[in-house]
Order: sequence, then C-alpha cells, then structure tokens
Amino acid sequence: MIRQLFTLIWNRKKSNFLMITEIFFSFIVLFGVLSLAFYYLNNYQKPLGYKYDKVWVMNMRWNQEKSEEIKTIQRRLKQQLNSNPEVESITLMSSNIPYTANMMGTGFDYNNRTVQTNVFDIDKDFARVMQLKLTDGRWFNDQDLNSKYTTIVIDQAMRAEVFKNEQVIGKIIPGKSGEDTGIKIVGVIEAFRQNGEYSATAPGFFKLRDVEMDSVHMKGSLSAMLIRIKPGVASGFEEKLMKQASRIAQGWTLEIKTMPEMRTSYNKVALIPLIIFSIVCGFLIINVALGLFGVLWYNISRRISEIGLRRAIGAASGQIYRQFIGEVLVLATFGLLIGLVVALQFPLLQVFGVQTGVYVAAMVGAVIIIYLLAAACAAYPSRQAAIIPPATALHEE
Amino acid sequence: MLKNYIKIAWKVLLRRKFFTFISLFGISFTLMILMVATAMIDHVTGPATPETRMNRMLFVNFIQMVNTKDVGIMKTLPSYYYINHYVKSMQTPEKVAISSMPKGVNTYVNNKRLSLNLKYTDADFWEVLEFKFLSGKPFNQQDLKQANHVAVISAHTRDQYFGTAADAVGKTIIVDGERYRVAGVVENVPFTRLNSFSDVWVPLSLANINKGDTGLGGEYMSIILAKSAADIPKIKAEYQQIVKKVKIPDPDNWDKFYSFADSVLEVLTRQILGNANNSGLTKFYSVLFLVTFLFMLMPTINLVNINISRIMERSSEIGVRKAFGASSRTLIGQFLVENIFLTLLGGVLGFIFSEIMLRLISNSGILPYAQLNLNWRVFGIGIGLSLIFGLLSGVYPAFKMSKLQAVEALKGGTI
Repeated sequence: MIRQLFTLIWNRKKSNFLMITEIFFSFIVLFGVLSLAFYYLNNYQKPLGYKYDKVWVMNMRWNQEKSEEIKTIQRRLKQQLNSNPEVESITLMSSNIPYTANMMGTGFDYNNRTVQTNVFDIDKDFARVMQLKLTDGRWFNDQDLNSKYTTIVIDQAMRAEVFKNEQVIGKIIPGKSGEDTGIKIVGVIEAFRQNGEYSATAPGFFKLRDVEMDSVHMKGSLSAMLIRIKPGVASGFEEKLMKQASRIAQGWTLEIKTMPEMRTSYNKVALIPLIIFSIVCGFLIINVALGLFGVLWYNISRRISEIGLRRAIGAASGQIYRQFIGEVLVLATFGLLIGLVVALQFPLLQVFGVQTGVYVAAMVGAVIIIYLLAAACAAYPSRQAAIIPPATALHEE
Repeated sequence: MLKNYIKIAWKVLLRRKFFTFISLFGISFTLMILMVATAMIDHVTGPATPETRMNRMLFVNFIQMVNTKDVGIMKTLPSYYYINHYVKSMQTPEKVAISSMPKGVNTYVNNKRLSLNLKYTDADFWEVLEFKFLSGKPFNQQDLKQANHVAVISAHTRDQYFGTAADAVGKTIIVDGERYRVAGVVENVPFTRLNSFSDVWVPLSLANINKGDTGLGGEYMSIILAKSAADIPKIKAEYQQIVKKVKIPDPDNWDKFYSFADSVLEVLTRQILGNANNSGLTKFYSVLFLVTFLFMLMPTINLVNINISRIMERSSEIGVRKAFGASSRTLIGQFLVENIFLTLLGGVLGFIFSEIMLRLISNSGILPYAQLNLNWRVFGIGIGLSLIFGLLSGVYPAFKMSKLQAVEALKGGTI
C-alpha cells in the first residue's frame, strides 16, 4: 500500500510541488530553531563550576596610581572589608568576571599545537569565594606566591582539549624566552563557564596573581573584587561596604553589583535570539499549517467521486481515511527527504562547531513535528471525506 | 462596474471564510514581523532624539593597530589625546564633540542602590546633539574651564533620586562619591544610542585625564557634525588623510594604524562583519536581504498555493460566466480587483497589528525608553510585494482558466 501511495504522489508531483516546497522550508526553519534550542539545553545541563548566589562584585577604576600603589590600596581594601562579620571571603580577579562579555584569551602552546583558551587572573582566595570544585591536584597555596614558575590551575575542558589523557598535575611547560620561566600546573577544576549556563564549555585556566606577590611575580593589577556574603545579610549592608571601600580607595570609581543580578540580565540577553527565532518560526509554521489545511481540504473535496467509487466497490470508511492520511504523510516525506539532505550538511561540514548530537536531536524533533503537523492538517478533511455515504459521493459525478 | 466587482469580492471572501482568514493572516502577520524588525533597525541606526541630525553625523569610536608580522590586532576606543590632537584638527566639520564611554557608578537613596551610568562630555556635545531638556539647561564652556561640579541628569535619574517629576534643577546629587549641582534634566536616552546614552552627564574637565599621556588608546569617543549631509564624503576623506599622519607610539609592536569616521550603521557593521579596509556594509545588506527573502518565501508560497486552490474551486463559476458571454478580459479584470481588494485588506490589518505590536514593545520596557515607529517605506515595499505575488498567483490561474472552453470549465476542469 505504501508503494502505491508513493506512486500516487509521484504521479502528481507537479500539482503537489508547492506543498512539498512548503514542507521543505518548514522543516529547515524548524531544524534551525530546534538546533539552537537543543544547543542551549545541552549547555544548560553541563556543570557551571561555581556558585553565584551571595556573591557581590565590586569593579574598581583607579586613576594614575602606579601598579605598586594600587596593590597597597587593594591589600588594605581586602583586609578592611574582610573584617566585617557579614563577609565570608574576598577575592580579586581580572575584568573577565562571570556573566560579563569581557574576554581574556590566549593561545596556549603545547606539543606544537596552539589551543585558544580563556585566562582568568585570580588570587588564592578565589576557589573559596566562587566555591569551585577541584577534581585533581590542589588549589594554589602560599608557596605558589613565590614560585619561580607561573602556577596555573586548569579546567577539565582544557585538560581534555590540550593534554588529552596525560597526567597533568606537576607538569612544567618551559617558557619560550629567558625571562619567561615557564608554567606549572598544580590542579584541575571541574569547570568555570564564565559566560553562564547557556554558553558552550570552553577550555580555560587560572593564573595566580595575588596582592601579596612582589612586583617581579605580578605585573599589572586586578580590577574586580568578588565578595561572598554570609547568608541572611540585609541589603543595607551594601551601602556600608561601599562607604568603607571609598574611604580607603579615595578618588577611585567603585561600582557594586550582585552576581545574581548580573546573571539575570546576562542570561536575558543570551536567550533573546532563541525567543525571537521561536516567535518567527511559530508564526511561519502556523501559516504553513493553515495553508496546508486549506489546500488539503480543497483537494480532498475534489476527489469525492473517486471516494464514491471506492466505497461502492467495498472499501470501508476507515480505509478511505487511512489512504488520505497516508497520502499526506508520503507528501511530507518527499519534502522531508530534501530537507534532510540539506540539514545533514551541518553536522557533516561542522559549520558552527556544534556537537553532532545536537543536530541529530534537532533533525529527529523537526521530522516528528512535521509529520504530526501534516497528519493533523489532513485529519479533519479526510474524516469528512470518509464519512460521506457512497450514494451521495457517486451522485456528484 | 468596479463597485460591483468589489461587492462580489466581498461576498466571495465571506463565502470561503477559512481561505480568506488564511490569506489575511499570512499577509498581515508577515507585514507585522517585517515592520517590527525594521523598527528595531531604525531604532538603533535611524535619527532619534538626541541624535536627530544623523544624516550629518559621523563617529570615530575605534582605532585599530595591527602587527602585520605576527598578525596581532588591537582594537580600542581612542584616547582623549588622540581625539583632541587628531580628530579635532579637521577643517571640514562644523563641530567635533568628545565624550567618555559611560561608566557604571553607584549611588544610594534611602539605603537602596541606584545603578547609574556617568558620562564625561565637553560643551560641544550639547550643541552637536539635540537633547530634549525637560528643565534647566546644559553646562557650558565656562563650566568646563572652571571644572564646575555640575551635572545634567536623565528623567529616570531624577525620578529615582529626587522623587517622581520633582524639581531637581539647582539641587545636589551625589554620584560616585562626588557632589554635583543639577544643571538640567533631559528626556531618557535608550542605551541603544551608544553615542549619547547615559544617566548622568558631567563636564569632561572633571575626568581624570593625564595631560601628559600621548597614548592613542583610551575610553573616549567622538561625534563629528558636518555642515551638511553633502560634506560627509569630504570629511571621511579628510579623516583618512589625518590617519595617514598618525604617529604610532611603539612602532616595533604595531606597524599599521587604522581608524575611520563612520556612520552609526557602519560602526556596527565594521565591528561585526567588516575588517580594517571594509566597512562590512555591503555584507550586512546582503545578509539582511537574504534573511528577509527566506523569511518572506514561505508566506509567499503559501499565498500562491491558497490562491490557486481558490481559483480552481471557482472553475464552474467561470464556466457559467463564459457560457453567458463574458470575455476573458472581463473575467481577469474581476479577479484582479478581487485580489487587490484582499491584499489591501491584509495590508490594513498588517498596519493595525504592527502599530499595536510596536506600541506593546515600546511600553513593555524590553528596550528601555525605546519609542519604536513604523517605517512607511518598508511598509510600502511589503504591501507592494504581497500585491505582486497575490496578482501572479491569483490572476495567472484565472487567466488560464478563462482560456478554457466554457464546457470544460463548467465541469470543473483543471488547468
């Protein structure tokens, strides 16, 4: 029967051409939107690597102070603010704070291969404030402050990407020039996804830069202060903290934000493309579904005499019903086949570097939705056609 | 005759309500989405308060240094020194305004934090841009020279700090630990107006600018106002002459220097799609065209499909009219009128939907302080396109049908 249906549709391919085109485009649009949705979902399920609640972020902009003066002020800031009973711990970090678009990257050379990675300059209290999860080795300690190497902690993504399955703890990567003594890896953390829940996991590592370091070990300054607050602290404490800070760092511009606030606004922006595409896609699909429904209705009502003939020679109404639904599904199959050929190019050519699983899930999802849609559009007209009494149907002729 | 046709068209539309609904839905919603998208683009790049004279404005917001040996690239905002020394030295423009990148600052009202943006500007800034002052006035050259602590604040800032619609002029506002006297209150500026956006504007002379620093990169931006729109190409050319003379402070690190006086759209496209020598504007328009084309393709195919079904359904009607002596021309005329009528109806609905949608978005606060407007030119193009496709798909089958023998048409013959 299926072969017959295929022959039927194939013989009328010219008149069905427009409907096949519509199904093809619907599939492509659905595939696109679903790929994006599954991409976000896939990212969302991966570990974020840190805890953002109860963390306040203070951005510091200094004037023309020298690096040493800045360090002195920051050391005092850290000490003073930490002495508040409301504060649990404080850390300093470079400007690429979680939930901001600031990026710091470097090409990491290893085994004659360069991998683009994120670099986070942080001090030794960072793991406590962000509550990072260590999976191997150890976090920075006081000895690292005077180490002749640049000590780093890498994340799992970087370990997999750069070092494959090698043992990394204690590994020393020699520097290129005389001044650069090299890098020593001391630990591995689960993850640190700076751009939040919806971003892809990217390789990254932490470089120890502490205000306790001398100028030989630490050049430049860290511009953000992350403060973990104890549970149950009233929001009025923020102003007190600000006043305290601006007394120490006179003339600096200080700006405080809470990380949950930053997360909300950052994720809102991250989701905007998905929301817009979904709305546009939804509109297009509704449009196509309505069109399909109308055209199918008309096509089926034109074939009433054919139905009458079939009923007269003994076809049950269920058979008629199934035939029409089947025809529409075959029609959809033609559109889908062309669509799949196009969609398959994305995982094959790795256009956006997205995991193949995401594309496969999107394809399966789009195919199912299109079949359901086609069947739903055909259901009512087919039902109408199937319940016509044979005598009435034959009378049409 | 025309009145009769329209009457028939109306009756036909009512007879097949479902088909009518599909056609109207397709036309009006496609138009609506098109209008909202255009309004968004206009919102970012079109003229709006305070950037009202957009056609006379150019912006120098980026400088780029390239190391051609190991392909290093540094792209930053220019420094105060760079703008003052190079951009301001141009002869053709009427005025050049300097302002800083807005910085986030905190202030506290009744123990509650108020996050604001603070922008340092010169006096020309207020002449180049046409802010709408609700009360007070901008600060002037005098204030800049004496480094007076005066500020212009937005209506939002006033409402939050002094209370809704309070009289703020002359009062003191503490921002970022500094006290400022409020000189004026302006209408809110949406953050999409990158060149003028802020909540608090204060004199540039209060910014911590190291006068001895001759570095080119910094955190300042400049707006160039041309004497007339026709001067724009001349200014661009003059700026390129100046860029050629720029001395790079560390030529060992960077051997090439690029910077452009761009329109707002060019600033954006150069960031996303362009490179040093290409503004990315053509690329942007091609992508835009492609996306619009693909988006309109589906509703169009749908419209064509529905129209063909519609006409085929009426083959017996055509047969009857032919049998009673109607010529092909009369028949085509009738279908032409019907189709135009339907499309225009869809257009009117699309217009109503777009207006409602734009109002909703403007009032929803998704885009703070945004006032989205209908772009009539794009609306016209949208209606024109739906007319063309409506006619092609509605009248062509009708034409073929009218050529049929009356008896075949009467039997519901196919084309």
